[in-house]
Amino acid sequence: MMLCRTLPAEFAVADFDRVEAKNLLSQTYTRQSVGKNKAEALRLQLRTFYEVDVASYPVRLTDQNIAQVAAGAMLLVDCLDNALGRHVVLAHARAAGIASVHAGLAADGTFGLVRWGERFTPDAEDEPGQATCEGGEHLPFIGLVAAGVAGAVRDFVRDGTRRDAIITLAGLTVGG
Amino acid sequence: MAILNITYQGRSADAPTPLDDRTSDADVRRIAVELVRAGLAGLVAPGLSATAFRHFVVDRFADPDGVVRIYLRPKVPFGADG
Repeated sequence: MMLCRTLPAEFAVADFDRVEAKNLLSQTYTRQSVGKNKAEALRLQLRTFYEVDVASYPVRLTDQNIAQVAAGAMLLVDCLDNALGRHVVLAHARAAGIASVHAGLAADGTFGLVRWGERFTPDAEDEPGQATCEGGEHLPFIGLVAAGVAGAVRDFVRDGTRRDAIITLAGLTVGG
Repeated sequence: MAILNITYQGRSADAPTPLDDRTSDADVRRIAVELVRAGLAGLVAPGLSATAFRHFVVDRFADPDGVVRIYLRPKVPFGADG
């Protein structure tokens, strides 16, 4: 979201979770956000630091509320960290005919994927509650993947282009 | 025929020769083990376990030119918040 803030588009963010101290190592929140709902914290940061307004939905996306949250959207951007949530987003996007782009990271922080909904299938964790790549050592690579998905959003906003990308330690490759 | 792309330990490379695009997922994983054991454009692991790619995903797509590509890659279950 931070990397898309200058795009000529209106944004909304949805997240039910709260900012924890450990999130400061790998996500875009500030110390002042700890304890706040993530969607609301992001809304406040964008307004405070960049005078950018986004709508926030402090909810867990389910098939009961996704239609309301996504009402009017031209693009759904999935950066969720669970297969169930990804399925909710993907199913709604396909049923409603809305474009969707999905970004994901491998657990060891060495591989990332940006893939449009017509070619995307969510990957399940190997086991529930599997440790994520949320340690600070993966922050540079997380930034690469974030840039990849931001570039995909930019291209879509600009001219409707839908380009997939794979991200490895060697960099970002369009396609795949 | 299909081009096989393998991603392992943060590096990605195409196999030197095409595969039959009907190659099963199990055979894709087995072939990938052999290729990485032998060395493939920077992907080198002579002692790679036969089950190294057990939890990897096999994606199959046709690119805009109609070329079939098979991607053997790690799972990506986690978010990419930026």
